[in-house]
Amino acid sequence: MSGDSLADDLTRRTQNAPPELLSRTFFFVCAALSIATTIGLIVLLTTEAAKFFTFSAPLVGVEGETATVVEFLTGTVWQPTSGSFGVLALVTATLMVMIGSSVIALPLGVGTAIYLSEYASPRVRSILKPGLEILAGIPTVVYGFFAVIYITPMLQPFVPGLGTFNMLSACIVVGIMIIPMVASISEDAMSAVPEELRQAGYGMGATKFEVSTGIVVPSALSGIFSSFILALSRAIGETMAVTIAAGSTAQFLNPLNPATYTERALPMTAAMIKLIGGDVTGGGIAYRSVFAIGITLFVITLAMNVISDYVAQRYREEY
Amino acid sequence: MATNTDFDGFGRVSRTAGTLFRYLLLAATLFGLVFVTILLVYVANDAIQPLTADPGWHLTFLLTLVLPTLAAGAYAYRRGVEALRTGVFTIGFVVVAAMFSGGAAMIFVDIVEPLTWLAFLLALAVPTAVTALVVSYDHRVSFAAQFVVTVAVFYLSLFGVPGPLGSLAGVPSLAPGLFGFVAGLPYAPAPWLMLAATFGPPAAYVGSRFVAADRDRRAHVLVGAAVFAFVVLGGALAPFAGVDRVPGVVVTAVGLVPPLVYAAGTAANRPTERVGLLVPAAVVVGSLVGAAVVDAVGFAGPQSWVDWQFLTNAHSSTAADAGFYPAVGGSILLMVTVAVLAFPVGIGAAVYLEEYAPDNRFTRVIDVNISNLAGVPSVVYGLLGLGLFVTYLDQPPGTVLLGGATLGLLILPIVIISAREAIRAVPEETRAASYGMGATKWQTVKNVVLPRSFSGILTGTILALGRAIGETAPLIMIGAPNVKYSLPTALSEAVSAMPLQVYAWSSLYASEDFYQKAVPAGVVVLVAILLAMNSIAIVLRNKYQSTE
Repeated sequence: MSGDSLADDLTRRTQNAPPELLSRTFFFVCAALSIATTIGLIVLLTTEAAKFFTFSAPLVGVEGETATVVEFLTGTVWQPTSGSFGVLALVTATLMVMIGSSVIALPLGVGTAIYLSEYASPRVRSILKPGLEILAGIPTVVYGFFAVIYITPMLQPFVPGLGTFNMLSACIVVGIMIIPMVASISEDAMSAVPEELRQAGYGMGATKFEVSTGIVVPSALSGIFSSFILALSRAIGETMAVTIAAGSTAQFLNPLNPATYTERALPMTAAMIKLIGGDVTGGGIAYRSVFAIGITLFVITLAMNVISDYVAQRYREEY
Repeated sequence: MATNTDFDGFGRVSRTAGTLFRYLLLAATLFGLVFVTILLVYVANDAIQPLTADPGWHLTFLLTLVLPTLAAGAYAYRRGVEALRTGVFTIGFVVVAAMFSGGAAMIFVDIVEPLTWLAFLLALAVPTAVTALVVSYDHRVSFAAQFVVTVAVFYLSLFGVPGPLGSLAGVPSLAPGLFGFVAGLPYAPAPWLMLAATFGPPAAYVGSRFVAADRDRRAHVLVGAAVFAFVVLGGALAPFAGVDRVPGVVVTAVGLVPPLVYAAGTAANRPTERVGLLVPAAVVVGSLVGAAVVDAVGFAGPQSWVDWQFLTNAHSSTAADAGFYPAVGGSILLMVTVAVLAFPVGIGAAVYLEEYAPDNRFTRVIDVNISNLAGVPSVVYGLLGLGLFVTYLDQPPGTVLLGGATLGLLILPIVIISAREAIRAVPEETRAASYGMGATKWQTVKNVVLPRSFSGILTGTILALGRAIGETAPLIMIGAPNVKYSLPTALSEAVSAMPLQVYAWSSLYASEDFYQKAVPAGVVVLVAILLAMNSIAIVLRNKYQSTE
């Protein structure tokens, strides 16, 4: 008994010795800084966006009224210079990026994941995986340039009415950009499927094809879905490629109609770049509207990350 | 076999679907890689234009460079895969060291005065020595006293009496610190000598450690002296090669010494891999001979847009004269700032979460929060930088410090996540052993966890840095200038960056001319630097994983 209290006493003494205390505090402050970043982000976005929605002073060079929250969220015309702040025009363009890029990235990403986890030999995998990482490391501004200079001219003979700037090539490059993300997260999920399940499948006489599609993919489904959501949230937040490739005309388009993908459009991220890049001085309504778009974007991506986490946790098969 | 045909297909399996599926998967895997590789080849072709060179030029280099290199490679491969791997690695090392030395030389030519550099190093070295002395009396001096002495010595050395604290209180400066004293010396040695004095010793140390690895003291001293002399000679002889002495010293110490030391060390200590050095030798000798022949005969090289002029000039309104220099320098500065700001905090947070954090609600909140922060779009981080630093803290927009802080916040979650993975990979037994020896938590972290996870952390941080210098959107949001004609010389000056310059050329100056000349050249430089960084990280990780 007295030994216990002596041990406790000694532990407390060493734990609270100055070097221990100092290092522990430093590490704690570092970790807490991430919370501070989030709080700062949320406070800043809300206060600045609130200023946008309550902005009522007459503006030089701007006709018309500023937007209310409802007008902002339901309006379909985006023309900051004439006071029209309908974010739907931007949201639909972002939706187009999301749909267009997922058509490319989701099947290719899952295919890559199945190949790497089930079929590839260790040697092939050791070449392909770093290759995919390098693919993910190419800056987005370079992808944007590729879209305008190489992909659009390549597509123009096949797609009638395709202008220099269009959503189609923007979607293609964003899709290629997010393949590694889908692939690596899905592959992690597939690698986590226990070997016994595969062996059981083979024992029942299943082929490799049947094991892959009938056992591995269904077992890893929650991980695959969570990779989809994360990749889509990445596509939504993607900025430079769409800014360069999609042109900068805000239009309210129907994302479900394939024909609209030959048009120019202005996704949310590109609109932010356009507003800030075009000589925006602090305090003006255009400056504030950037924060209104920013908080919309932040909320959407945050929601998607949370959903992805939830899907991965909630529907995970426990082995 | 024959009996099987009597059954109605039982036991026979069609392999068509499986084979088809397999090749579909392979195609899916290769699609992105091949697609991007093709695009990269296109852009490299546009930027370098190899087809504009004389056929004689191609023939010369085929004969002097390509064929001998292939022959050397084949020979090394026959002697062992290890040898070939060493040879290829050395070539990569030469390329990376050359890039790195170019960046370092840029810093000393245009950004930091050699005298300031020397003063700064001295102002750090002297208090470090004092601290080491105090700490060596570990048992006699209390920790509080050690801490106070350390802080005081560093403060005095860097800032003097009474320093910024005093000027806040209105006390005039009484005596400069060591930094101010050295930086203000009226007579200083020639700049290149100061650089040789600061770069020589570390280079000599590395050289002697690596080349004379297991040999006696004499060998160590000899190799060290040789390396040091080589660095000094690099500066002294630089003018004969048409280079100034300051970049001469830096390029010798940072660009030439490391690959040479690696090659010499391999030759001296690893007999089985020695033959692999033929490959880099063939490349170096082949390029020199080829260049000499081409020069003598007068074959025209390709009309590359990535040339010396492009790398050393600033932006111009005509595409053919436009250069990338301020953008490259800006990216280097941003990289340094980001590393200084984000790495200690990121690694510290990872250590806390892995080693210290109790399993409670707050820890889980931090945990979820970090993974969510990693998913926030980079353009929103730009908004954070804009709102927080420019609007609320009233900083001038687009400065080095602002860019570094914004990009630092952006990569912080990535650094934390990768550092946590590296720390988690340290075997629990090593920690238990440390505690068993009576070590405290901090001693265990300092002596076991961090050293064991060092290479993993390094890999993650290099990848994160690559992400940071490839980012454009946050820099635009914080108001970094699209066009910058000189390098910033202080943290409070506006900065440009490589991706930003590429964006400016492809949007503000969008014209056929820029699309065909300046932008491809910029893309090639940017991608080359990023690929070099990422391959360092991947090579490091593979090496580390195979030795664990």
